[in-house]
Amino acid sequence: MDSASHRYCVYGIEIASDSPLALPNYSHDALGHVECLQAPGPIFEKAIENAVLDSLSDSWYRYAVIGDGSTYVAWDSIGEFLVTSDGRRIVCRRADDCFTESFQVYMLGQALSFALVQQRFEPLHATSVVVNDRAVAFVGGNAFGKSTLAACFLEAGDRLLTDDLLNLEESRDAVRAYPGPPRIKLFPGIARRFLGAVADSVAMNPDTSKLILPIDERRTCCRPLPLDAIYVLAAPRDACRLHDVTIETLPPRQAFIALVSAAFNRRVTGRQRIERQFGMMTRVTELVPVRKLVYPRTLDRLQEVRNAVLDDLDRD
Amino acid sequence: MHVSFSDCVRVAPDVLFRLVSDEGVLVNLNTEMYLGLNPVGARMWHVLIEASSIQAAYEQLLKEYEVEPSELRRDLEDFIAQLRAHELIETRSDAA
Repeated sequence: MDSASHRYCVYGIEIASDSPLALPNYSHDALGHVECLQAPGPIFEKAIENAVLDSLSDSWYRYAVIGDGSTYVAWDSIGEFLVTSDGRRIVCRRADDCFTESFQVYMLGQALSFALVQQRFEPLHATSVVVNDRAVAFVGGNAFGKSTLAACFLEAGDRLLTDDLLNLEESRDAVRAYPGPPRIKLFPGIARRFLGAVADSVAMNPDTSKLILPIDERRTCCRPLPLDAIYVLAAPRDACRLHDVTIETLPPRQAFIALVSAAFNRRVTGRQRIERQFGMMTRVTELVPVRKLVYPRTLDRLQEVRNAVLDDLDRD
Repeated sequence: MHVSFSDCVRVAPDVLFRLVSDEGVLVNLNTEMYLGLNPVGARMWHVLIEASSIQAAYEQLLKEYEVEPSELRRDLEDFIAQLRAHELIETRSDAA
């Protein structure tokens, strides 16, 4: 393995890598540090030779906690990763025919989330945009429309803070949201509609048409911002027949449950994590308004949704 | 399970409770079960945990809420049964 000579910053974490990554250079104090090093296939074969793969593992996704406490996680046709038990190092191997962009999405998303949790962070499955120099987050499950809604904000001139994984830092009276990689994942039709050309994009993986689209620096934000509000997106099945855009502040108990449900990485469980999650999410619930956002799932109405969010933020 | 009003209620080991605004959230670290309590539930929890017995909590809550005594008794029994079912509390007799 080569030395990690490339230094970047993402989610507030300094990433030292032995290969170039599509990330901003490291420039300020970091909340934590992770080293990313490439290794050949036999390293991984040896690491998991006695490991029991998780029961949910299949031919596409494999996961195991191995003897020394490290996490092994792999996606067929993408690559494989070993995350040390202290979350300080990710050893990785890119599959031969995987695009670099696609590999980095998995490395800097799913794989890095194990490192973040091991370092006692509690990332959310969320997409965040910048409005009036403050962060606004959208949380919801897969296919709930987080990135699509963010794309509508980008079209209108707002900037992207992060797509899919949101790392937070809470202090006594505020919560700060940290920027993710400068890219967004969208289906081609949505990308064309809101961002124009999709020429620089590649597919996330061979089984989806979802694209990874780089976002230029004018449309991204590379510094942490105070988190102004969290909008919990309604499930598409609950919203498809609705005609109106509604925003409703969630009672604290529901806000808390929504945030716990939005944990990015649910693979890592256990008492310590639950205890930490409980503390973190109660504090975020106290510090940041959490609102339910319900809207018809029609692209033509998204600008109206953005307006409703802006009006709602103005009321604060 | 029968609820004796002479018993006292204690938070089960490995259960965390926190007030968020005027509501409550709970987690059992063993079962990883989360529960949210509305303001009335949060107040009932607090009074039950602090009181020397369920009877004392009942009398306290009777002073605080405009409610028929029989209705409060039933609500309190249901509440305690739910908390016990989720392993969030333990009830002990004075003699224990």
